[in-house]
Amino acid sequence: MSTELFFVQLINGLQYGLLLFLIASGLTLVFGVMGILNLAHGSMYMVGAYLVWYFVAVTGSFTVSAILSAVIALGLGILIERVLIQRLYNRNHLDQVLLTIGMIFVFNSLQSILWGNDPYGVAVPDALSGSVPFTDNSSYPVYRIFAAFICIAIAAALYFVVSKTRLGMLIRAGESNREMVEALGVNIKSLYTIVFAIGVMLAAVSGIIAAPMRSIVPGMGESVLITCFVVVVIGGMGSIKGAFVGALLVGVISTFAAVLMPTMSNMIIYIFMILVLLVKPQGLFAK
Amino acid sequence: MIFEKRTERIFLAIFFVIALCIPLFLEDNSFFVGKATTILILAVFVMSLDFLVGRVGLVTLGHALFYGLGGYLFVIVTPEYEAVNFWLYALYIMGISAVVALVVGVVVLRTSGIYFIMITLAISQMVYYFFFDSLEFGGNDGLFIFMKPETSIFGLNFLNLDNPTHFYYLSLLAVLVTLLAIKIILRSRFGRIVEASRLNPERTEALGYNIFAFRLISYIIGSTLAAYAGLLFALQYGYVNPQFMTWEMSGTALVMSILGGMGTIYGAILGTITYEGLQYFFEHMSEDWMLFMGGAIILMVLLLRKGLAGYLEKLLEK
Repeated sequence: MSTELFFVQLINGLQYGLLLFLIASGLTLVFGVMGILNLAHGSMYMVGAYLVWYFVAVTGSFTVSAILSAVIALGLGILIERVLIQRLYNRNHLDQVLLTIGMIFVFNSLQSILWGNDPYGVAVPDALSGSVPFTDNSSYPVYRIFAAFICIAIAAALYFVVSKTRLGMLIRAGESNREMVEALGVNIKSLYTIVFAIGVMLAAVSGIIAAPMRSIVPGMGESVLITCFVVVVIGGMGSIKGAFVGALLVGVISTFAAVLMPTMSNMIIYIFMILVLLVKPQGLFAK
Repeated sequence: MIFEKRTERIFLAIFFVIALCIPLFLEDNSFFVGKATTILILAVFVMSLDFLVGRVGLVTLGHALFYGLGGYLFVIVTPEYEAVNFWLYALYIMGISAVVALVVGVVVLRTSGIYFIMITLAISQMVYYFFFDSLEFGGNDGLFIFMKPETSIFGLNFLNLDNPTHFYYLSLLAVLVTLLAIKIILRSRFGRIVEASRLNPERTEALGYNIFAFRLISYIIGSTLAAYAGLLFALQYGYVNPQFMTWEMSGTALVMSILGGMGTIYGAILGTITYEGLQYFFEHMSEDWMLFMGGAIILMVLLLRKGLAGYLEKLLEK
């Protein structure tokens, strides 16, 4: 592998890793704070991608479509939490698993009813359509760099919210002792609604950002869901820092595996995850 | 009496009477006999999962690994154009699966809780992709079974696996044997310790039991039963492919078992029949059957706290 190819792949891997982090952050946030394993998280990623595709087709503007889709996702998150998730807080985890599997069915079906089963693509917005020269004979698409920076910006914002704001303080408090937070007069119900809705929106925003880079196809949610599980388990369930490190590792490893050993590339991240769990049974950043 | 609950006895009596008679009514409709056979085979798979998840406390999302393994092993260990003895090879395949389960179990049982769910998922995904990307095992298309095995015992041959009705009864026998086996295990000293270690691991350990060993043996039992179900499924359809071991397969089995009433074992049969029945019904009602199926699953979670078995017990136990 030449140095040039190595760096291109490294950047590809990091960029993919950052996107993975964005998806996984919502999953791990919801699990960490609410103890809910949302199997329908991948469906929210799919919803984001389909919504932005639809709105771009209608309005023609990627920015407008992205904002519209994110707002709709936030509303959807609030609705799902209020109508369904809220009823299952004092049930066991398996009921939550069952409920969110039911949601996967519903969302996959709605996708096929509303938008059919053809693959779609979203054009890269004009302002971001060029590519940056990398070396003499290779270049890197501007949109991918832009996407990576958006992911970093959201990661930074998430870090800021969780560690520096009052909401973040409540979230951290709710993680460690929900009864105590409630006893102090905090409305834990609305806190949960907010956290769940943010989780859904993070997944949808990832779908929006990914839309111009990947094809929009049925089943895209499930494949990304499993990869996200690997990410959050490697990092340690519930840890956002862990999700960040896990996502970058998975992104880089799977990108290089696809180049270096194509027949094994699909297996590699699972092997890596098993190795991590053998050394650290609770992931790298276990609480 | 190994069936302690009245509901359980009533359900199982009705189930076995109807199941025994089904081929008599549908003799000339081999599609329905085939469908019923598939449901019975799935019920064996779901019961083995229900035992692990509901009774041993091992929530696995990778159970389909062994379902697929049962099918793949058959094609791998049998000669291609020769009808081997079914019972002999079933034992052989279950033996190999037990060894695989031992190795996998030693690895996965180091973790617990949500990490156990995830590591079982990861291992089954790994094996899924191994078969999916492999050339010698047919990749995504899988492998075909050209010769059905013969089923003679000591020279007596009363089952012909090419006959759908015979295959149906073989699957019903599998349901009965699996049910009895799990029930007897649970009633035994071994089963009590296993359940104790689910309910209170610290105390069980303090009593001097090696929880790890009990869980490992249970994991091997559950996985071996799943491999037998997978073997039957592969034989019924004459092929095996990576779709046998997708995480969706594991997930669906988990849904069936929760729907039926986790840990009740007979509920696994009930859950499998209900799930398959609903799916068949919705598929024929509308192209968008998944919408209704998803809606039905969501409704049942919200309304039934302990699955269908729990609901029946509320009606019948007093």
